[in-house]
Amino acid sequence: MREVIPAPLPGLDLRRHYGHHQSPAIRAGGLIFCSGMLPIDPQTGERRHGTLTSEAHIVLGNLKLLLESAGSSLDRLVQVHALIYDSIEYDVLNRVYRQYVANGPPARTVWTAQIEAGFKIELDAIAAA
Amino acid sequence: MSARREVISAAGGVTNAADGGSPPASPAVRGGDFIFVSGLTAVDRQSGERVPGTTASETRLILGNLKQVLQAAGSSLDQVVKVNVLLHSMLEAPNMNEVYVGFFPDPPPARTVCGARLPDGVKVIIECTALVCRI
Repeated sequence: MREVIPAPLPGLDLRRHYGHHQSPAIRAGGLIFCSGMLPIDPQTGERRHGTLTSEAHIVLGNLKLLLESAGSSLDRLVQVHALIYDSIEYDVLNRVYRQYVANGPPARTVWTAQIEAGFKIELDAIAAA
Repeated sequence: MSARREVISAAGGVTNAADGGSPPASPAVRGGDFIFVSGLTAVDRQSGERVPGTTASETRLILGNLKQVLQAAGSSLDQVVKVNVLLHSMLEAPNMNEVYVGFFPDPPPARTVCGARLPDGVKVIIECTALVCRI
């Protein structure tokens, strides 16, 4: 069974704000598959460009909101793909990331990519429902 | 309809290497009937230290380690459903593939290979998702 997880706050509806043809997340097979999470203001949908640190806080906050609205949580993450704009920021990413996934962190792969709208970070995540 | 989640911590002595020490990532995590394995780099299984080499040698070391990780998680290379391979250069894809075919069954799992800028001179990162054998 496939179930769409709606945006928990209006700003996180990227389909509405940016025309992205995607759902915020899909629940299937006991897992929640999230769309790429970006530093978007969860209330207004505005882009929040900043440092990798500031962007990462917003992204992880948005992911938390989305997962909790679906009855899951950051503690239930099983896999994360962290895309960053420059691998030189690897340690900076880890500093913020640790604050959100304290114990028994999910499997993770980090690589460098060109991210939409010139953002510095995007997280692609799967969590247990 | 919640799925079981379990961290596979002592995953065959293999640590997720990309930043040495203790990265905020588990080697593998079970979610439902699947095992999600972190991106592995070429590291010595015992010491956890980086073993830089060619794309072929790094691939061989990683897939050997991946086998251990999956076994520790109650899965195996035969149960892999999807593999993502990140290479420092797509020109190296044939060198990776030559080693890769020796590790997986025929027909092999789904796979994506792409070129990416990898940290610390790493040439290859491989991650995968596998089914759990023991449910």
